[in-house]
Amino acid sequence: MKLVLLAALTPLLLAGQSNHYVGSQVCRTCHPDVWLNFNRNPHFQSIASGDLPPEKTGCEGCHGPGGNHVAAGGGKPTIRAFSQMGPEQVLNACLACHSKDLSRVNIRRSEHTNADVVCTNCHSIHKAATPKFLLAKRQSELCYTCHASIRAQFEMPVKHRVNEGFMQCTDCHNPHGTFSGRKMVTEAFDNEEPCLKCHVDKRGPFVYEHASVRIEGCMACHVPHGSTNAKLLTRPVVFTMCLECHNGAGTFGRDNTGVFLQSASHNMQDPKYQKCTLCHVRIHGSNADPTFLR
Amino acid sequence: MKTLIAVLILPAALMAQDTVAPTADEQTGPARGENVGDYNVVQSWEFGYRYALVGGSQEEYRADVNYHDGIRLLGSSLTVNSRDGHGRWFDEIVLTTQGLGNDPYESAVLRVRKNKLYRYDMLWRQNDYFNPGYAIAGGEHLQDTVYRTQDHEITLLPESAIRFHAGYSRVTQDGPALTTIQEFDNKSPVYPVFQNTRQQFDDYRVGADGTFKGFRFTVQRRWEYFREDSAYNTTQGIDFNRSAPYRGQTPGWMGNLTGEFKWVAINARATYAGGRGDFIQNDSATGLDRFGNMQNQQIVVTGNGDRPVTTGDFSVTLFPVDRFSIVNNTSVANIRMSGNNAFAELSNGTPLFNSTDFQLLTMRLVTNTSTGRYRFSKRLDVFGGFSYSDRLIQSYEFGTSAEQTNHTKAGTAGVNWIAVKNLRLHLEGEIGRNDNPFTPISLRNYHAIRSRAQYRARALTLGARYEEAYNNNSIQITAYSSRARTYSADASFAARSWLSFDTSYSRLHLDTIGGIAFFQGAPFAQLTTGTSVYISNLHAYNLGARFALGKRADLYTGYTLTKDTGPSFPLTYHSPLVRLSFRINEKLRYNLGYQYYGYHEQFGLFSTYENFHANTGYTSLLWSF
Repeated sequence: MKLVLLAALTPLLLAGQSNHYVGSQVCRTCHPDVWLNFNRNPHFQSIASGDLPPEKTGCEGCHGPGGNHVAAGGGKPTIRAFSQMGPEQVLNACLACHSKDLSRVNIRRSEHTNADVVCTNCHSIHKAATPKFLLAKRQSELCYTCHASIRAQFEMPVKHRVNEGFMQCTDCHNPHGTFSGRKMVTEAFDNEEPCLKCHVDKRGPFVYEHASVRIEGCMACHVPHGSTNAKLLTRPVVFTMCLECHNGAGTFGRDNTGVFLQSASHNMQDPKYQKCTLCHVRIHGSNADPTFLR
Repeated sequence: MKTLIAVLILPAALMAQDTVAPTADEQTGPARGENVGDYNVVQSWEFGYRYALVGGSQEEYRADVNYHDGIRLLGSSLTVNSRDGHGRWFDEIVLTTQGLGNDPYESAVLRVRKNKLYRYDMLWRQNDYFNPGYAIAGGEHLQDTVYRTQDHEITLLPESAIRFHAGYSRVTQDGPALTTIQEFDNKSPVYPVFQNTRQQFDDYRVGADGTFKGFRFTVQRRWEYFREDSAYNTTQGIDFNRSAPYRGQTPGWMGNLTGEFKWVAINARATYAGGRGDFIQNDSATGLDRFGNMQNQQIVVTGNGDRPVTTGDFSVTLFPVDRFSIVNNTSVANIRMSGNNAFAELSNGTPLFNSTDFQLLTMRLVTNTSTGRYRFSKRLDVFGGFSYSDRLIQSYEFGTSAEQTNHTKAGTAGVNWIAVKNLRLHLEGEIGRNDNPFTPISLRNYHAIRSRAQYRARALTLGARYEEAYNNNSIQITAYSSRARTYSADASFAARSWLSFDTSYSRLHLDTIGGIAFFQGAPFAQLTTGTSVYISNLHAYNLGARFALGKRADLYTGYTLTKDTGPSFPLTYHSPLVRLSFRINEKLRYNLGYQYYGYHEQFGLFSTYENFHANTGYTSLLWSF
């Protein structure tokens, strides 16, 4: 009850009083648990630096001047408490220092920001589970907190090895937003399909390009998170996927007359012809064969 | 104090783990570490033995899981921090490793930082994976493909107004990859075979960024080099040799200008990547042709290709009033693939005239997107936007030139609402139209809905999500429809200091129907038309539970189930695991774990079942000092 009363009255008591900076050593008096490992925190360098203005130093660099907070004997209403702030306020507070990096230049138009997912939803400044990036949990677990359906995809038999610890979500995505917009995928070489960062051999150029790869991108045929197909295809069986495009119909394809029909020399009742990429091995593009055989 | 630290750190450290090892997240030893001179050191090392007993399809196991027997450094963690932020050579070292000593997923992550002076990051990874085998592998499928990647990035003067960056990355891949042989004419059967492939990719980059009058300017220069040396030789049946070296290089640059002021923020970027590849493929063969005649043949393809990619982006964000913001973004991308090549064929010593032109393909894409957002209160905001894109595709293929354009218009709208304390709701919808999609499965008439509810209290988090994405690309001659719906729910509950749960369920539904045409029948295949129907109902369940058993032991049990009930291609993949960790003393823990993998497919493609089951486990000592 006393705390409630204190919280209610403090703003009134302090109304009209000017706030001032007290320094992190003062904060340490009442918050030893926070201070305990703070020298391991990247934010500690603002204290170690010794030449930053008080509004960018230590505890008050984020939480604002602590004069009133000290005078009131504590309480969230007298300090900039992130748990009490709205998403936009949190974003603005962190970007006051962290807007410098190129990786965050699109944060204001990112899908996360649109969904009110901001810095403190993922980062835990004082109780970080990872020494780098101060994440609140191990990265994949953190992302799964909201993206349970993505967890389901990474538990498929064939998947990119995120759960195994070999990869991380941020190998392909930038949670702070990207130029490419959708799905926050990071581009290879700043402007190319993200998959090319690792699958460099697919970049080409090739004499014979598989046009859909270049025009529609890798996800025309692949599901990157997980699949029942050994090559992460959109269908468990390759020929069903290929035939959906190669039906010769419509105004599709390079010259608007339909995508090439499957060859008349192939009897599709014969299982060997159902494994298209067993022979068309250079399906992403070939320099030697127009049908991607070698 | 140690109890307090343990209470603070353990819940985070005990978050769900998906693989049975390593267990290095369990806290061991004093969390404060040891003070060594001016530094504070915290480290842990987990050594152990891993085993795997596999039944059923070894190939599928190696493609999907691939753990083997052996001694491992399952995981390690080292942090060294200067106590006052004024270390002589560095202020922070963070090193973590995983799976060293022949696990299929090995990695090492290093950061070294000196305040104000430099920051260095390194990431090394190696993945041994099984290149999914086929019946034709002829024993070569026993080879694993090894994929290695390393990244190095250094930033000088990281906290100053002007910073300098340099980096280097390398990706290598060694192992079998499929190629084909077709000799001595194009009516002959095509034989798929494995060839040994070695690929190497090197990326060098330097850059700088600086601040000037509220703007931050970044410039980066990059050089990428790619080489592939694949070869195939055989003397079985015919005497065949193939050599196909490829050399690629992609120099490029990127410039970015960003600035944020009271009522406006801008962000502009321009990039250029000048991809180029040089190639030779030399096939030579001697042997009997399909009629039993002796033949010799050589085919040489040489050439080079260019693939310049240029992009530009410009976004403006306006904050005319506190409650309202509007973002407009314009992006332009241009990609062009062109080149020269030569084709020479010698058949029984006689030159044959064969030639082909490089198949030109270019694409230019212009996109403009506007999004507005109005915040009624801290608890409620709405947003909406419109996107328009114009794509021009030019092609030259087999002597025919073609050009086409297509346009996409899409609208979005959404709302964020904190309905009651701790309960956040998000709803977003998108609807779009494309007037000339490139493929029969591309987006034409589509819409998407994304929604999420999340309740977050101190010890309890509940979430639910629904998403759908529908696309209809049916036209007069052919039909294509795709409907994807995703439902998911998740919960995390730290019931007691010694007990916590983490669970989720997802259902992913996908049904597609597409018009197809193909040939079938023998001896003369007839054109057949029909529809391809694919229906998948994937149920995924995940459960993790943690128990602190007294003061010395921690138990984790988990279960994942992935079940596609079809009806097109039903299968079940599930994996229970249990892990037990005993604290021997303040610095030492003993761990053991077991994980089962069971894969069972019910569709029996080509009358083969790739089912497997595997019992894997480990035992280890985790030492912190």
